[in-house]
Amino acid sequence: MNLRIIYQTDEGGVSIIVPADCGLTIEQIAAKDVPAGKPYQIVDASEIPTDRTFRNAWEYQE
Amino acid sequence: MAITLDGTSGINSSGVIVAPDGSASAPAITNDGDTNTGIFFPGADRIGFAKGGAQCGEFDASGNFQFNSGYGSVATAYGCRAWVNFNGTGTVAIRASGNVSSITDNGTGDYTVNFTTAMPDANYAVVFGNGDNTGNITQSAYLYSSATYTSSSYRFTVKNNGVGPYDATVITSTVSR
Repeated sequence: MNLRIIYQTDEGGVSIIVPADCGLTIEQIAAKDVPAGKPYQIVDASEIPTDRTFRNAWEYQE
Repeated sequence: MAITLDGTSGINSSGVIVAPDGSASAPAITNDGDTNTGIFFPGADRIGFAKGGAQCGEFDASGNFQFNSGYGSVATAYGCRAWVNFNGTGTVAIRASGNVSSITDNGTGDYTVNFTTAMPDANYAVVFGNGDNTGNITQSAYLYSSATYTSSSYRFTVKNNGVGPYDATVITSTVSR
């Protein structure tokens, strides 16, 4: 499964964490690389839009 | 007195095997028929490596690894501590990496590299290389402010012709420390 971790930025946008093949689980990567205290979601990569024309306008939905 | 062991069982010992210091031209631990190549001990707390009668590498007394490899002499090697190659377009994806747990896509041409094992401090050096197949070859990458430059990650932006942030097909970065 090709997963991503998403969370809302302080500016109201959305950051997407792309995991590397580093031996850590997606949960371990989330615990380490999501800023402390930020709620996040683990989603399939196919749920992330591929058209990045308006990338900075993307919004995070709970 | 030299001792020759015949057979294929090798040497099994529950004790310490002690070798003399040796030298680059006559290593203490060497190979039958190639006695100027092997391991020697050039000084206290040092392990040397010889090839063809000349020193080609060493772990020095501080634990630093030194090698020649065309440099001209044996000198300390400073390692690449992390690296990543990823696609910043479409479905952003990492092609290959080392000591990188993830990259964070923060926006157009805006990324964070997260280390699997943190650096000892934030005083490392970062190098970038970017490109794509659209002719936008005049690209550059910049680190963000020092606030985003930590022992566990660094954030940077890729720009095209200095115009603005840009998603490139090939984005690479290495960290030395």
